[in-house]
Parts: sequence; C-alpha cells; structure tokens
Amino acid sequence: MRKTDSKWAWRRPVMALAAALVVLAALPFGTAQQGQIPLNPEVSGDIEFWHFWGSPVRRNAVRRVVAQCQAELPNIHVTETFKPFGDIWTANIAAVAARSGMPDVIVADRLQLPRDAADGIYQNLGELAEADGVDPAAFWDFIWDQTLYEGDTYGLPFETDVRVLFYNKNVMAEAGLDPENPPATWEELWAAADALDVWNEDGTLARMAFFPLYGNVGADLWAMANGHDFVVDGHPVVDDPAVAETLEWMKRWIDRYGGWAETQRFLSQYGAAPNDAFMAGGVVMKVDVAGYNSILNFYRPSAKLADGSTANMDWGVSLPPYSERPATWSGGFTLSIPTGAANPEAAWEFIKCAASRPGQVSWARDTYAIPSDISAARDPVLMADPAWGFFVDAMEVGINVPFVPAYSNWIEQLNQRLESVWTGDVTAAEALSAAQAEIDSIIQQNQ
Amino acid sequence: MAVSTRDQAVKVAAAPEARRRFSRRRFNQALTGYLFALPWLIGFLVFTLWPMVYSLYTSFTRYNIIGEPRWIGLRNYRNIIFSDPSFLKALENTFWMVIVKTPIVIVAALTIAILLSLDLPGERGFRTIVYLPNVLSGVAAIFLWQWILAPNGLFNAGLELIGVRGPAWFTDPNWTKPGLVVMGTWWIGSQVLIYLASLKGIPKSLYEAAEIDGANGWAKTRYITLPMLSPTTFFLVVTSIIGTFQIFETAFIIAGAAGRDVALGGPSQSLLFYVFYLYNRAFGKVGAGGLQMGYASALAWILFVIILIVTLIQLWLARRWVHYETDGR
Repeated sequence: MRKTDSKWAWRRPVMALAAALVVLAALPFGTAQQGQIPLNPEVSGDIEFWHFWGSPVRRNAVRRVVAQCQAELPNIHVTETFKPFGDIWTANIAAVAARSGMPDVIVADRLQLPRDAADGIYQNLGELAEADGVDPAAFWDFIWDQTLYEGDTYGLPFETDVRVLFYNKNVMAEAGLDPENPPATWEELWAAADALDVWNEDGTLARMAFFPLYGNVGADLWAMANGHDFVVDGHPVVDDPAVAETLEWMKRWIDRYGGWAETQRFLSQYGAAPNDAFMAGGVVMKVDVAGYNSILNFYRPSAKLADGSTANMDWGVSLPPYSERPATWSGGFTLSIPTGAANPEAAWEFIKCAASRPGQVSWARDTYAIPSDISAARDPVLMADPAWGFFVDAMEVGINVPFVPAYSNWIEQLNQRLESVWTGDVTAAEALSAAQAEIDSIIQQNQ
Repeated sequence: MAVSTRDQAVKVAAAPEARRRFSRRRFNQALTGYLFALPWLIGFLVFTLWPMVYSLYTSFTRYNIIGEPRWIGLRNYRNIIFSDPSFLKALENTFWMVIVKTPIVIVAALTIAILLSLDLPGERGFRTIVYLPNVLSGVAAIFLWQWILAPNGLFNAGLELIGVRGPAWFTDPNWTKPGLVVMGTWWIGSQVLIYLASLKGIPKSLYEAAEIDGANGWAKTRYITLPMLSPTTFFLVVTSIIGTFQIFETAFIIAGAAGRDVALGGPSQSLLFYVFYLYNRAFGKVGAGGLQMGYASALAWILFVIILIVTLIQLWLARRWVHYETDGR
C-alpha cells in the first residue's frame, strides 16, 4: 500500500537529518523520533483553533494536545474553540467570504478537502510542507492523497477512523455461539442472528442480533464488502448488480425485523451512549468506528443476560462481515488554515506539532482515533491495548474511493433514495437507475 | 398638506416672497422627515435592496462567495428548470405543505377562536395555553416534538391506547410531512388571537337581527361570522402560505436528526423544502461544484416569482369570497 516511488522519496534522508538537528537543538522538548516534524519555537502569536470535539472524552483529549504543543511552542498562544459538527464549516465559509472572523486553524473534513480547496476556503500548504520537510510517506498513502488538490496539500492529516464490527461477547456465549469467532460472512451473520434475535410474547422485537444500518455504517460499506468499487475510471457507478444485491440484502434484514417502521420504532427506544442500543443490550453486533472503543471504555456498560442477571460487558472487535471481500473505509480530518487567517505562520507551527507523532499518539490514546501517521499508529503506548493492533490491521482492507472532481458528493444520489427502498415504495433497481441517471447528468453539466 | 397644486400655483404667482418661505418650510419639513426615516432607509438600502439587486446579478453567474462571480447568462435558470430533479422534488414537497397545512391550520385556528369567544368559564386560561407555544423558542420546541413524534413517543403511545399502531413519523418518507403538519397545528396561537380580535369586532346587532329572523347557531356562523371574518381569513391565508413556502428550520433540524446528513433532505428527500434546498445549494452541501451561491440566488428569484404568482391568484380569487363592510357587497 505504501508508495515507494514518491516524488518526495529523495527528501527522506535530508529530512531525517534536518529533523535530527532541529530536535537536538530543542532537546528539552523531545527526542528524535520518526514522525516528528521539525518545529520553530521562535514563531510567536495568538491563534484560534476551531474543532468540533465537544464530548467529555474528546474535549479533554484536544486540550491535552493543545497543552503539549503550548509546551513545545512557548511563544504561541492557542485558544481552542468548540463549534458543533457541520456548523463549524458553514461558519468558517461565511467568515472566509466576509474576510474576517475565521480561525487560524480548523479541523477540516478530509474527504471534502479537495473540493473546499478548489473553492478557495483553505490555504495551500504545499510550500510550507515542502520547506519544513514534511514527509508524505509518514502518512498512510490514501490519506495523504486525499489532502491534495492539484498536487499540493491543503491540510496535514490529523486523525483517521476505521469501521469495524463490535459485538457483545457475553450474549454470544449465552446464545451458544463462539465469542472468539464472530460471523465473518453475510451467511454466518444471518445464521448467528437466528440464535441471537429475541422476540416478545406479543410478537414485538426484544433484541436484534444485527441491523445493517445501525452504527456508523451505510449502504456504501456493504456494497464494498459485496465486491463493488464505486468509482470506475474516474466515474461513479451505483447502478450495478452488486449494489442492487447489497440493497436487497439490507432490505431482507429490515423485513426480518418487521419492516422499516418497526425497526425504527425499536431503535428509537435507545438514545446516545451509554443508552445506545448496543450498550443497553438491544443490538448484539454493530459496525462503528474504532473511536467507539473509547466510549465503551469510558462507560464500561454491563451486559443483560437472559436469566435477568447482569455482567460487565465483554466486547470483541472484528472486520465487518462481507460477501465478496473483507472491506472497510476510513474518513477523518486534517488540520487546515482557512484563507485569510490572521496568523498563518503560528498556525502552521501548531499544525505541525499537533499532527506529528506525539500529538497524534496523545489524541489516539484518549479517543481511539487512528493516527494518520503510520509510525504513530503502532506506538507501543497504543499497542498496549490488545484490541489496538486489530484496528490498525483493519486499515489494510480499507477501500479508498477516489475523489471525483466533477461531482465529489455523488454518493448523495444513492443515499437520498434509500429510505424509499427500505419502505418498499421503490425497488432497489429503480432507485439505482434513477441515482445513476442523475449522477451522469450532473457530471455532464459540470464538464 | 391639504393644499392642492392649483392653490399652490395661484399663491406662487401672487407672492414669490411667500413661495420662498413656503418652500423653505416645506423643504425643512421634508428634511426632518427623511432624517427620521434615515436609519430605516439606510438599513433598507444596505441590508435589503442591495442584497436583492446583488442576488439578481449573481443568479446569472457562477459564484462561490469567495472568488469573483463569473457571468454564465441564463445557465443556472436553465439547469434548475430543465434538469434538476431535486428542484422539482423541493417544489412538490413545498406545495404539499402549502396545500395540506394551510387549510388545516386556518380551520383549526378558526374553530378554537370561535370556541374561545363563547365566554365559557376558563376561557382566559385556555387562551393562554393556546398562545403559549408561540412564546417558546422554535428550535427547542422542534426538539420537543421530535421526542413526542418518536416512533415510540408520546403521540404514538396515545394512538396505541385507541388501538392504532402509529407510524415512524420522521424516519418514514411517507409520514415526515404529515408529522410536520401535526406539529404545525400546535403553533396556531397567533392565528387564533387574530381571529379572536376580529370576532370581538363583529357587531352584536347583526346576531340580534338574525335571531329575530329565527336563525339558529349554524346559520349565524355561516351567514354572519364567516363573511364578517373573511378579510381576516384572507390575511391569514396569504401570510401562512408565504410562511409555508419559506419553511426551513423545522426541516433542517429534523432532517439532521440522529446524525443524518442534512443535505439529504430527510428520509428520501421527503423534507427537502424549497428554502432548505436553496440553503444546501448555497453552502455546497448538494450538487457538484462546491459553494453554489449563483445557483442558490437563481432558486431564490424563482421562488420570488412563484410566491408573487400565487399571491396574485389569491388577490384575484379574493374578490369572489372576501367581504369588506365598506365596499357595499
């Protein structure tokens, strides 16, 4: 997966030397390590940093990263500001358009970064990265590539995520299934559900083994696990038998549990962690990002057993069940500088610090987000958790969907038609052909 | 200024001295007037007229608010009208709401207002209760309603009592808009208040005359109350239709519930209302090509034309059913 003929490759020895020198010069602040980007502690200024990490776990984690960087960059003062997810980017766009009020550093959505770069929302960091010897090979290849627009980076990758299957071992064991061998394929999953589903006497659902739409997962991941590559020769393809088959498979799950309304009724009994359907025992298996592990660690839920007793929940992780090939995908975020930011120099120093190995390890340790820096991802501090290595391994089956400049958001055409398939108002084939026609038409308009 | 132009002309010819004095006074008066109106005028010119003119211009451009607008002529309008299924979907959803919600709200408000005007015991308390939702912050109330209309929420629990298995309101594309209508009938306090005020304004003598003629309760309502209220009804219909055309925050919050992407416009785009779609285009959440302020501006002007046409149709229809006491009909 790693790029060996990268245009940056020649730079590595030079960079290592430079890094070693800089780190030596700044010995009190750290030791020479892989993934350490040289900092310039002379740079000074106040910077504002916008993020959307408001939960207790994440807010503290982000404060720790800021505190670490404050120690390394004594002349820079960082103010971290929480903005709600989604609004953070709208507010930034408004500020960039008004040419005032934007932060100096913002957490940007990596999958939208090239499009936002094309719109002029973020500053080109290509020259700064090159001047400071940022090594693209330090990051996972696909992650670095996703930060590029016309060959230049517009943000240093901060964290990434990976979708895996979480399952409740206590309940599996109780139902007579092997808790160390969770279902790996769609067939095994369906069979396991026969043992795990529980129905009330009045015919309503009491426990769901698995629901393909519950968790941080959608039709896209399942279609990938059914062997579908969404972007073929730069063109998005949704109208494909593999996708139709996937939607029909998902619909079978919905019908298994009494149809769309019934499944929604069942799931809506549950709320956010620690009352979500997995922790509260309503769902036995769910796909979520690795970060969910930190939430489980934080709340330490108990598992409800059939005899009415409870036990500390023991959960396991594995790859999402597949039909054709094991698959998962990773989103994630970069640290970027909005266009017109008041203090880009200090911002850049902070970004380098946060995105380098110590910053990423600190963040990952608290949040179970996967460091985008490969060496940081296998840091001994992180590997101390026996589950951690699995999350990093799961990255290997990650499917990277290439960016489509003419229509980056093409997946919306699929997603906006799904509920009608779930309710049975349209067939999977109808929804897919309509979605494809619309994707083709928009791409044609934009070329 | 009760001075006619001809009178002025006579005076002007007769006394140039007086004319100067007069025009000076007139000028000063006008100046004072304009100075008093100035804060509003500046606000109107800068924050209303200028953005409107500018949005008309940008509707003919490709404009991402960060760069400079690029002139593309009628292309935005052509794409919207001829090749944008989401535009049609947004229109369909919006008209659905206008056609279904407006009559329900008007009839409910009128019924409650008539009941409240009967001078029954506890009328004041009920009046307060009916108006109370309007005092609450809209967003908080929407969150409250999300809870009430959850698939196993309060509303469905009530339906369960009479043996009806309620729908999954905000996750089933067939039930999202009916859910909004149910929610909307909760916010009729101001309409009820306006109706109540008009009801109190109907002369008692009309009812007394009708009673002498032997009219029963229904006849009085049908032939006195409703015609006398028709100007109010007309006002409420016009304003509530315009309000429904501009529905945004309810759809925005409900479409974004449970971590769903707001840009999808709710389950199968069933909550993609016109202004909501316009917002999604403007901030680059849907479609290709990033921030699409030009496209969104064109959508706004098309909405302006649609509302104008609908309102003109209503004005024309009003001649047939709205009764003004002064016009002798």
